Parts: sequence; C-alpha cells; structure tokens
Amino acid sequence: MSRPFDSMDPKVMDDDMLKVAVVEQGPQEEAGQLAKQEGILFKDVRSLQLDFRNILRIDNLWQFENLQKLQLNNNIIERIEGLENLIHLVWLDLSFNNIEAIEGLDTLVNLEDLSLSNNRIAKIDSLDALVKLQVLSLGNNQIGNIMNIIYLRQFSCLRTLTLSENPIAEAEEYKEFIYAYLPDLVYLDFRRIDEQAREASKLKHQYSIDEMKHREALMRARLEDEKAQRQMLEEHKLAFIERLNGPFLFNSMYSEDVEGNKLSSLPGVDELLETYKDKFVIICLNIFEYGLKQQEKRMAELDTFNECIQDAIRENQEQGKLKVTKFEEKHLLNLNAIREESDLPNIEKKLIECSDDITDLFNVLMTLEMQLVEQLEETINIFERNITDMVGLFIENVQSLMAQCRDLENHHHEKILEIAINTLEKILKNEMDEDLPDDVRALFVDKDTIVNAVGASHDIHLLKIDNREDELVTGINSWCAHLLDKIHREEIVRNRKRVKEINQYIDHMQSELDNLECGDIIDI
Amino acid sequence: MEVLREKVEEEEAAEREEAAERAEWAEKMERMTKTAEVSKEETIMTQDELRDLEKRLTSIEISIPAEYSFINKSLIDVTKLPPSYSTNSPKEEHLLQVADNFSRQYSHLCPDRVPLFLCPLNECNVPKFVSTTLRPTLMPYPELYNWDSCSQFVSDFLTMVPLLDPLKPVIKEEEKAMPKKYTVKPPRDLTSKFEQEQENKRLQEIKNQEEKRLREAEERLLAEEKAKPDPLHGLRVHCWVLVLAGKREVPESFFIDPLTAHSYSTKDDHFLGIESLWNHKNYWINMQDCWNCCKELVFDLGDPVRWEYMLLGTDKPHLSLTEEDEDVLDDDDDIDNLGKEEEDKSFDMPPSWVAQIEITPDEFETRCPNGKKVIRYKRAQLEKWAPYLNNNGLVCRLTVYEDLQCTKVLEIKEWYQNREDTLELKHINKITGLHVDYFRPGHPQALRVHSYKSMLPEMDRVMEFYEKIRVDGLIKREETPLTMTEYYQGRSDFLSYRHINFGPRVKKLTQNSAESNPRPMVKITERFLRNPAKPADEDVAERVFLIVEERIQLRYHCRDDYITSSKREFLRRTEVDSKGNKIIMTPDMCISFEVEPMEHTKKLLYQYETMIHLKNEEKLSRHQAWESELEVLEILKLREEEDDAHMLTISIYDTKRNEKSKEYREAMERVLHEEHMRQVESQLDYLAPFLAQLPPGEKLTRWQAVRLKDECLSDFKQRLIDKANLIQARFEKETQELQKKQQWYQENQVTLSPEDEDLYLSYCSQAMFRIRILEQRLNRHKELAPLKYLALEEKLYKDPRLVDFVKVFV
Repeated sequence: MSRPFDSMDPKVMDDDMLKVAVVEQGPQEEAGQLAKQEGILFKDVRSLQLDFRNILRIDNLWQFENLQKLQLNNNIIERIEGLENLIHLVWLDLSFNNIEAIEGLDTLVNLEDLSLSNNRIAKIDSLDALVKLQVLSLGNNQIGNIMNIIYLRQFSCLRTLTLSENPIAEAEEYKEFIYAYLPDLVYLDFRRIDEQAREASKLKHQYSIDEMKHREALMRARLEDEKAQRQMLEEHKLAFIERLNGPFLFNSMYSEDVEGNKLSSLPGVDELLETYKDKFVIICLNIFEYGLKQQEKRMAELDTFNECIQDAIRENQEQGKLKVTKFEEKHLLNLNAIREESDLPNIEKKLIECSDDITDLFNVLMTLEMQLVEQLEETINIFERNITDMVGLFIENVQSLMAQCRDLENHHHEKILEIAINTLEKILKNEMDEDLPDDVRALFVDKDTIVNAVGASHDIHLLKIDNREDELVTGINSWCAHLLDKIHREEIVRNRKRVKEINQYIDHMQSELDNLECGDIIDI
Repeated sequence: MEVLREKVEEEEAAEREEAAERAEWAEKMERMTKTAEVSKEETIMTQDELRDLEKRLTSIEISIPAEYSFINKSLIDVTKLPPSYSTNSPKEEHLLQVADNFSRQYSHLCPDRVPLFLCPLNECNVPKFVSTTLRPTLMPYPELYNWDSCSQFVSDFLTMVPLLDPLKPVIKEEEKAMPKKYTVKPPRDLTSKFEQEQENKRLQEIKNQEEKRLREAEERLLAEEKAKPDPLHGLRVHCWVLVLAGKREVPESFFIDPLTAHSYSTKDDHFLGIESLWNHKNYWINMQDCWNCCKELVFDLGDPVRWEYMLLGTDKPHLSLTEEDEDVLDDDDDIDNLGKEEEDKSFDMPPSWVAQIEITPDEFETRCPNGKKVIRYKRAQLEKWAPYLNNNGLVCRLTVYEDLQCTKVLEIKEWYQNREDTLELKHINKITGLHVDYFRPGHPQALRVHSYKSMLPEMDRVMEFYEKIRVDGLIKREETPLTMTEYYQGRSDFLSYRHINFGPRVKKLTQNSAESNPRPMVKITERFLRNPAKPADEDVAERVFLIVEERIQLRYHCRDDYITSSKREFLRRTEVDSKGNKIIMTPDMCISFEVEPMEHTKKLLYQYETMIHLKNEEKLSRHQAWESELEVLEILKLREEEDDAHMLTISIYDTKRNEKSKEYREAMERVLHEEHMRQVESQLDYLAPFLAQLPPGEKLTRWQAVRLKDECLSDFKQRLIDKANLIQARFEKETQELQKKQQWYQENQVTLSPEDEDLYLSYCSQAMFRIRILEQRLNRHKELAPLKYLALEEKLYKDPRLVDFVKVFV
C-alpha cells in the first residue's frame, strides 16, 4: 500500500468532520444560504462523500438514516462496521481500504452497488442479505478459490462483476467458469460478455451445471414444502385444532405412559388398543374438521363485519369530503370578497359571516362523526354478540366430543383392568401360557400393584385429553377477547383521529381568517 | 267500407314497375308513384324467400295507361324495346280475354266494388296483364338478397309524385282526373295519439298536468296547422308488397311500403283493406270483409272462399302457402309444371313480356335516378346523393324546418363520405348558429368533434379529439373568449385538466401582430389524478398559478381515511429586506395546512426547493398553454384549407375511380387482349379465303363444297411447290456465288494479302454452311410436303362445313 496519505495520522470520524462534509456537499447558492441558516439534519442527507480522509474506523454514522449513497473509498478502514442503521443505502463504495473480510452488511437490504475493490479480501461471503445487488466490484483482492463464484449464484439481479487482479483471475478457466455459472451476468471485469463465449462455456460445463441446478431445485422444493407445511400448521393453529388430524394426541397419551406401554404386551391388549386408537382418531378427526369449518365461519363473519364497517366509514367520509369541498368553495369566494371590500363595517359583517360558516362546518362535521360513532358502536356490539355465540357453540361442541374421548378412555381402562386382573389370576394360578417380559411380570405381584399401574396409565391419558381441551378453549377464548379488544381500540383510534383532523382543520381556517382580520386592520 | 277501401291498383303497379326499371324509365315511374298509405291492393309476394322478393321487386314492369301519357316519350325510345313490349302474343291475347271476362263477372257480381286493376297499358300503349309485368330475377348484389336492404334500394329509386286525382288510378276508363293536392299524414294518427293521451291523462299524477297542458296546446297548434281531417281518408288507393310467411324463416306475413321501404305488420292501422293481390303467376280478389282493416284477413290464398283466383292455373284451390312458395321458388320447376299442367288445366299464365332487368354496378351505386333523391317529410326534407356525385363528398342532407311550409330552417345535418379530412357529419343549428363537425378517426390533427359558431380564433368553440392518437392524451379543449379548458387522459404525469383564464389583451404600442401579442394569462389551474406511487400528502391534486398575483396554490390529494386535504400557498414575490439584500425565503412566503404535520416540510429549504420547482412548472404550463393556442390556430387554418380543397379519397379497390388501379387494370386488359389475338391467329381458318368468294349467307351446295375442297387442296399444293422452288433457287444462287468466289480466289491468290485471304476463308465456310442448311431444308420439305398435303386433305374431309358433301365422294 504505497499511498501518499499512508504517512498521515489516522483521523477519527467525529461529528465535526461529518458536519463539515455535509455542509460542503449540501445545497449551494441561495438554497445553501437557507441551509446554513437552518442547519442540516443528518437524517435528511441522502448522499455523503468521505474519501481521502485517512479514516481508520467507520463511526458516528447512525444518524444518517436516509442516506442512499456513501463513499468511503481511499481511506485506511480495516473493518466494515457501523453501517447497521443505514438501511436505505443503495450505493456503497469501500474501495482502496484495508478490509480483510466482508461483514457488517446484513441490514443493507437495499444495496445495489457495492465496491470493495483494492482491499485484502480473501473470501466472498456474508452478502446474503443483499438481494438487490446489481454491481459488485472485488477487483484487486486476495480471492483465490474459484468456488467463491458459486456463492454469487444466489444474486438474481447481479449484472456486473469485477474480479480482476485476484489470484483466481489467473486461472485458465476463470472466465469460462464465470460465464457458465453466472448466466445472468452482463459485464465481467469492465467488458460485456460475449454471447458466443458464454454459450461455449455453458456447453463445456453443462454436466456439472445441470447437476448443480438439480440440487438447487431439490433444495428449493424442499424449502417450499417445509414452508407449505408450516403454513398449513399455522392455519390449523388459527383454528385451534392443530395436530388433531391424526393420531398425534393418542400417541402423546402413550408417550409418557410407562405402565400403559408395559401393559400393551399382555395378550389381547394389542387388538384392544388397535380398536381404541381407531375410534379415538376418528373423534379427533371430527374435532379437526368441525374446527376448520368453524374457523371458516368465523372468518367469513369477520370479513362481512369489516366490509360493512369499511363501507360505512367510506360513505361517511365521502359526505364529509363533500361538505368540506362545498365549504371551501364558498369560503374562498367570501375571502376574496373581503379582500376587495373597503368598507370597514362591511368587512366586519363578512368576517362574522365567515366565522359562522366555519362554526357551522365544525358542527356539521362533528355531527357526521357522532352519527358514525353511534352506527359503528351498534354494529360492533352486534358483531361481538355473534362472535361470542359462535365461540361458545364451538367450545360446547368440542367439549362434547372430548367427552366422547374420555368415555372411550374409561371404557378402555375397564377392559384393560379386566384383562390385567385376569392375567394376574392366571399368573397366580400359574396357568399363564405365554412368557411375559420381566418388567411386565414385575407388575403382577399382587392386585394392588396391577390396579395402581393401570390406574396411573388411565390418569395420564385423561390428563392429556384434559390438557388438549384446555389448550383449545383457552386459545379460542383469548383469540376472541383479543379480536374484540382490537376492534374497540381501532374504533377509538379512528374516532380520535377524525376529531383531531376536524379540529385541526377548523383551527386552521379560523386562524387564517384571524390573520386576514389583522392584516386588514393593519392595512387600514 | 269496401268502397272506402277501394283501389288504385295502377299506382301500385307503377311503383313496382319503377322499382324494376332502372334509370331510363325513371320518369314514368315518378308519375305512378303515389300517395298516402291508405291501401287496398296487394301483390302477393309469396314468402320471404328473399330471392323471390328480390326477383319480384326487380322484375316488375310498368304498364302505363295510354290516355295518360305520363311517360315522357322522348326519353324512352319505344322502338328500341323488344317486340314483346309492343305486341301481344296469342297467349297473352287469350289471357287478356280471360281477364276481361273475369272483370265483367266481377263487376256484375260486385257492382259496389271498384273495377279491378287488371290490364294497364304499358309504355308502348299495349294492354298487359299485371302478372306478366312481373319477372323474377336474381341480381348479383348481396344487398338485394334480403327484403330490408332490397326494399330500401327500391324505395331509393322511386320518387313520389302525387296523382292528379288521388282517388282514381290511372286506368283507361277513368281517364280524367282532377289535379288535387293533399297532405301526407292522415289525421287518424292524430286522433289515436290524442286518445292515448286522454288515457294517460287519467292515469297520470297531477304533477304531469302542466306537461300535458303544454302538449295539448301543441296538439291544438298541430291540429290548426293540419286544418280539417283528411277528406280522402279511406278513399285513396295504394299498391304495396305483401310478404307471406313460410319461406326463408319469415315467421309471419308482413307488408312493405315500397316508397319508404318500411315494413308494417298486417295488423297496422294504416292499411284499411285489400282489394286484390297478384304475383307473377296469378291474380286473386279478396272476398273477405275488411271492416277491421287488415287485422282479420287470412292470407291463405288456397282458400277459394276468401280469395277468388282468376286463373285455375298452377294454384290448385286447396293450395297451401308452402306449396305456393315452392312454386315461386323454382323457376325451372315452374316451367316444367307449366308445361305439364297446360295439358290438363284450362289456362296458364304466359311468361313475362318484360326484358330482364340489368343493373350495372354503376347504376347500383347511384341508386336514385341521376344519383339524387329528395324526400319531403313533415317539416323536414331529406336529400340523398350517390357517393362521389358531389365533389365535396356530400351524400345526404337533412333539413329540419320550423313550419309546415318549409320556409324557416331550424337545423341542417349533412353527411359526407370519402372525404380526405375524414369529415363525416356537419350539423348546423340555424337558431343558435352552432356548427358541429364530426370526424372519423384519421384526421391529421386527431380531431373527433369540432363545434363552433365562428371560425375566428378566440371564440366559443369545443374540439374533441381521439385521445389515443394524440401523444399528449388530450380529449377535449373548450374555449370561450377569455378561457381555455383542456381535458386529458392517460398521461404519465397524471394531468387531467388544465384551465386557463386570459385577461384582456394589452394594447402594445409596437406594431406587433396578434401572434406576438397573445392575451395575457391571468390564472392557470391544473388538476392531477392520484399517482399511486406517491403518498397522498405529497401528491398534488390541484395547483393554481395566479400569475398576476404572483401566487401559487397547491391542494394535495386526500388521504384514504381523511376528509380534509393538505394545502399550501406560495407567494413568489421577491422582496428586499431593510439592508437591501434579497430575501430568499421567509416563513410567511409559504402558508401550509397539513393534515398530518410533518417535520421536513417545515423547513425553509424544503419550501424553497418546492417553490423553485413550481416556478419552473409555471413557466412550462404557460408555454404549454401558449402552444395550445397556437395549435388551435393551426387547426383552424387546416380546417379552412380542408374545407376549401374538399379532396375525396378513393379506395384502391375502386378500380373505376382510382387512377393507378385503372391504369393497372387497363394494362392487364391489354395484355389479355393481345394474348387473345395471338390465339385467334393461330387458329386461322384455312377455308376462309375460299368461302369468302361464295355469296354470303347461303348454304353450300354439294358441288360448291367439292370445288371448295379441291381449290383449297390445289392451292395448298401450289404453295408447297412454290416453297420448294424458293429453297431450290436460294440454294442455286448460293452455290453459284461460292463458285464465283473460288474462281476469283484462284486467279488472285498470289497477290492477296493475309487479311483478304482470311476474309475469303471465312466467307467460304459460311457459304458452305448456308448451302448445307438449304440442302437440308429442301430435303426435309420434300419429305414433309406429301404428309402435310394428306393432313390437310384429311382435315377438309372432316371439316364440319364440308363433311356432309365430301363424304359421299370418299
């Protein structure tokens, strides 16, 4: 690095430096005078140039929220840092610095042009967030592995790439490889890519590219699949019946049930379990389907409600607009008349008229708003009643289905108990034909043990069912409560906003009129 | 009733005929055409078969009563007409007798009824039976295939001329007629309307009473204008066309009025009754009572109780409509049937005496006689011209009058065709003086409608444009002396409206012309549609440049959930502060109302930049307004030029008018002609010179034929010999010359230069070549000559002109 300013001391990017730069690069001439007069806020700056300043560390840029173009080239920066806040950045120049690794760019999702040439970068990575990247300059760095190119395949907007004066550029296959693996690239190392050369390279690398494409396609398909599944689960969760479309609940009943699993090896329990599971799953499916249907119903109800509310608001808004427009037409004429009037009493009379008009408008608008508030309130109440009823009905029906599950469980429990006691009797009489595993046999010591074991299994099962039911009921109740709360809150916010708007407008009109009054009096 | 209903058959016939005939007979037709719609007679137009209809319409011949020499004889050269016009064939004579007999019986049986319209005189003063004036003909124009466009065509051709006596058809016996004028509309129309109104009156609410009173007043006025009810009601006679249901998907029978080409239901009140019907096959008398107009008539011509036929002919008494149709349909069948039936039936309709109608494309396009037609309506007059007849492209003009006498013009509508400036319709309102011009797409300035009172600039006018053709998306520009308003659509800057107020023109002392002294602009108002890419608070909805006051007002679009919108007003006065420094921007130069106050707009810098931007925009808008003014001037100038030039466009498919196509077509024809000539030559008749020696037009005798053949053969033989001799002579001449040359060479061989020697050698080789060729030709001729001779002889034996005679000798 034989740069002339290497010898100079590193400088700190402090407020003063930034202020000077901002003023220097800000508006000029008349606008410049105004800018100086008022001062320029960092957050209003769109573009900033800080080159040849011997900066060692990027700092103090957090206020430049709206910066779109930043030039930090020809400094002695060693790390990319302190740019997290500059999320609107489109253009970033960090060339001719001492950077060794690409980092700290994860928030710059709008970046389109990135220059990192003439640094000491050895590996292309950490660029994943830059989905809009179009131009990437990495000339004169230390990039040596040609596989870095593959990393660039993910940037579908990338059109221009510079990699000259890197170790990989020495490789014989360098250009061919890039042509083949980055088919959307238009410019490489400041030259337009020749179509024929590209075709030739593609042919040459056809096999490996196809393979890679296949892998990529598989990966994409898998990701999409997962996404779809997640989405589905999300939907089910919204209906509060997630995982009820299968034996999930049943399996979970047995997953923590040690005794139950042990007992299942008893003769006859297998079949019993099989039928039990079938019946149980059918009930679960019923709950699931019923839940989906109910969810659909609730959404339809909500949609209708929203639509009606929006219609009412829009209609009211139109009326308001109409009133305002009419008023403004009249008001404008009145103001003009006042300006032209020279007779003081007349002016005063007209001023009073105008003032009355404004008051009238205020009353009219407020009346409209009050009307709307009443209408909406009533509608919201009706909706609240309906949706609560729906939720209540849903809960009731689900509970009755869950009760069926419990009945099944109780029934099953009795059967198991019977089998267990029979088995115990057999064992005690030594009539047992089959061999039982030792841990199972350990249960059949006396009647109490076995009854306790079966009972414990039964308790676990009931607990699971209860939990699932609770989960569902809590979920839907809290959803309902949140929804209603949100609707009420939104209506309040809307009302406040409108009242504020009306007041603001009326105040403005009134003050305009007052100003006119003063002005006239002064004139006279 | 019957009396009322009677009559004028001739008129009908006349109309028909007219329809049929083309230009030459136009005059006659006019006479015949008749009057009001009170009607009687019917010709049967069996069915809808358009072909039928068309045939009939086109085929009708006029018979004109002799006494009434309506026909301007000087215009019709009777001598050029086919003999069938001036004579009656025996069969026709017979038919006339039958008709006469029929008519006598009829007048005997029905003394109250009007004499039948059976045998009017034609243009040669020869009586012809009406049915024979019809000759079904198929015309090569698709427009004539369907009844509506066909009857329109016929009605265009007909011109209505009132009869001298509206009550009497021009028939031999009733020659004298008193000239009498009558108005067109029957009062019946009026009364019925009035009754309807009475009805309405009862039903309508009181609020309609005023309206009603107004209308009543109008009615009264009309009634006064009309004078008394038509005294001739029910007495007039008319001819029209009946189309019977059945064929060609005609669901029910209907009438066509040939003068207007309108169709009427058979239940129409205007048609009071039917006296008789005819088509090209037969003649029927209506025996049904017409007390309720034609509403209850049954059009089953096969029913002899309702319809008394004249000829037993092809129409059997029980003939149903469909059969009738079929008969009518097929002429060939007809003829066959005729032949057959003649044997067992007493009499049949003779073929039509009328020459086939021919309509050239020219005449078809011209439509009306001389390409011009005037139709008078109540308080209106419609004039029609053939395309290209007027050199300004005028094809139709409707003049609406205020009064019945047609003296005060209310408005005029003129339709144009084929104009280069795409002018389509000119509408002039004489009361307001407003002109409205309508243009088809394609005007150089994309003009669609232009309405104005004066062609001077800066006056009231509205121009509408085809906005898709214009780059700037202008739809409409309205002008008054002090304003100009423009409406736009589909612009990328979302401008939708621009309104300019002008001040009175300042008189300049300099001698500048009007163009360099435009009216000063006082105010420019521009409105923009919502640009969805911008937030509402930054999307200007309306901006007003108050140029004189140096103020700029902005109104922004309204946010979705708000009812008020932001406003901003700039005073762009430049002022100087106490120290004499220019004030760049002060807070009071920009008055803002913001629905949602924003921080950055409070800044002077922002306001300053906005104002600078607006100043530039103002300049631009003024420039655009100025350009609009220029454009108006340009369009006005162009319009004047176009009106003066009124060029007509000619389609490239119009080979008659398009010069280039014409040349091309003529060249093609020439080529074809030449080709044809060549072919004719190749088929020269070898007998022609010999036949020419014989007296023309006479049949050959055997002796002549044999002589002809011999002469032809000997002549051919002679020619073969001559040809052989000719070749021989040339051969000898060539040989001699060669010998001479050789001799000369041998004598002068020593003194010859190499060039001469070369010349001699080349001559020798050429001469030898020629000699050899001649030798070959002679040999070949000798070989072929006998064959050719035999071939001719054979041909002659087979010649159709000689074959009968020559064969015997062979």
